[in-house]
Amino acid sequence: MDHEAAQLEKQHVHDVYESTAPYFSDLQSKAWPRVRQFLQEQKPGSLIADIGCGTGKYLKVNSQVYTLGCDYCGPLVEIARSRGCEVMVCDNLQLPFRDQGLDAIISIGVIHHFSTKQRRIRAIKEMARVLVPGGQLMIYVWAMEQKNRHFEKQDVLVPWNRALCSRLFADSSQPGRKQPCAHSERSHPYHPPCSVCSCSVCFQEQCHSQRSHSLDYEPLMARMCCADISKGGEEENGFSNTLGKSFRSWFFSRSLDESTLRKQIERVRPLKNTEGWAHSTISIQPSPHASLDSGPQEPFSTREQNLDEDVFVEMSQKQLEWPRAPATVKHLCGDQQGEVRRNGDGNFLEGTNTSENGMNAGDVEEGPPSASRILRRISALDSTDSNPEETISVEDQQPNVLDSRAFMRYYHVFREGELYGLLKEHVAELHVLSSGNDHGNWCIIAEKKDNCD
Amino acid sequence: MKLLTHNLLSSHVRGVGPRGFPLRLQATEVRINPVEFNPDFVARMIPKVEWAALLEAADTLHLVEVPKGPIEGYEHDEKFLRQMHHVLLEVDVLEGTLQCPESGRLFPISRGIPNMLLSDEETET
Repeated sequence: MDHEAAQLEKQHVHDVYESTAPYFSDLQSKAWPRVRQFLQEQKPGSLIADIGCGTGKYLKVNSQVYTLGCDYCGPLVEIARSRGCEVMVCDNLQLPFRDQGLDAIISIGVIHHFSTKQRRIRAIKEMARVLVPGGQLMIYVWAMEQKNRHFEKQDVLVPWNRALCSRLFADSSQPGRKQPCAHSERSHPYHPPCSVCSCSVCFQEQCHSQRSHSLDYEPLMARMCCADISKGGEEENGFSNTLGKSFRSWFFSRSLDESTLRKQIERVRPLKNTEGWAHSTISIQPSPHASLDSGPQEPFSTREQNLDEDVFVEMSQKQLEWPRAPATVKHLCGDQQGEVRRNGDGNFLEGTNTSENGMNAGDVEEGPPSASRILRRISALDSTDSNPEETISVEDQQPNVLDSRAFMRYYHVFREGELYGLLKEHVAELHVLSSGNDHGNWCIIAEKKDNCD
Repeated sequence: MKLLTHNLLSSHVRGVGPRGFPLRLQATEVRINPVEFNPDFVARMIPKVEWAALLEAADTLHLVEVPKGPIEGYEHDEKFLRQMHHVLLEVDVLEGTLQCPESGRLFPISRGIPNMLLSDEETET
């Protein structure tokens, strides 16, 4: 089981990052503010490791501490090194550190790449091992519950396809794609698609929606693109940045089964530029792309149906410790306005929707000046983006879906409370200090207990 | 790879445990990288340093003027702090190897980056 897990991760995590690493160079997505804050709060002279550092965006946040970057992917590490960071190549499951040597660790968008629960636990325990007592660990993982999309399943493959970017760029620049963007359905359940397709999946989702719905996909994207483009000129990088945002919006995850819905979509709103795209979610079915957890393999959809409603209700009622991004229920264009404003170097906190913690809806990517670089970057999205790429359905086995140039990354997206539960149940050496949601990620800060505990 | 980094590294070859520290350093290419001196930062590092490991590594690199250990009142001793600053932060091993003292396994350092990955066979549980 562990071997299969490692193989899956090799194919759909390590090889993908290695292959797409060249496109990451120069293209740094912005550091999440809450992570920056965590790093800046560490005592001067602290020894800190960023496990899964990628190109090193967090490694220079705090000049008063010594930050080591570690990543499994050599090419990404090389990029970080070229930026002057102290880095190494290593494995989260076998950290090459002596026990209790580090004062703090961050793990941002990493644990969700482990394909079994046991491996996720091992990764966390390894990080706990190398922490000093009292040292803190911050973990970010992609949330299953997203505000603009819905993962139907927890184990998904998300594509990154260079070809899509060129296409999008060409399409988005066409003036004809104007659609009214002042839709208010974000603020109340969005029903029309349900009645149109009346497919079982829609009803499964209960259309509590404030979540976007796969069937929203095209109109949603269109509106977002329109809103984005109209915001051109907001930041230094202006149009390029804006365009970048709109690209990202195209990479909606379609969490519902393509075979059921694609016909509906095409009937309702045929958009030529969706041809040849990778569509819908890859939900990993028991074999060969199972989540590889031992234990009863429930049919995924059944599990979804049972738990979805509870999770969703919980989310809307629960008060999380950390302030949310301005409402999960949000006017879509309002979101986009917020997102777009926030772009650009260091302009994070000047956006429209800055809460005290700087937690904003949407994404915080910087925009490099040239459009062609935008293309590459947008396609290679950080998993912690709130509008992640489309996910693909592997169970449908549709040849046109699996573009040979599409790299697919494996994610286990976390349900609310899952990460917390993992630590509570299986990592006794850590004590959870806080948990919450940030930009579509579940986050936790935990502390290494003293030895005598 | 800086010597402060080396000071944290340990072999994780299966079965080796704490005997995997410190890694034996061999360098074929070393560079001195000027780094801005921050006495407060260096002073705070001192209690965290594993001295024997540091001295061993510094010796392999034929470094001179390496304090043998923290001295009385080191926090305010600029000369001491500058020496430590140099040893810990300015010496950069670009090419070389790190060897597990227990198993003999070699980990390469290339372009300043240690590669600590074990092979599939080595990590099999």
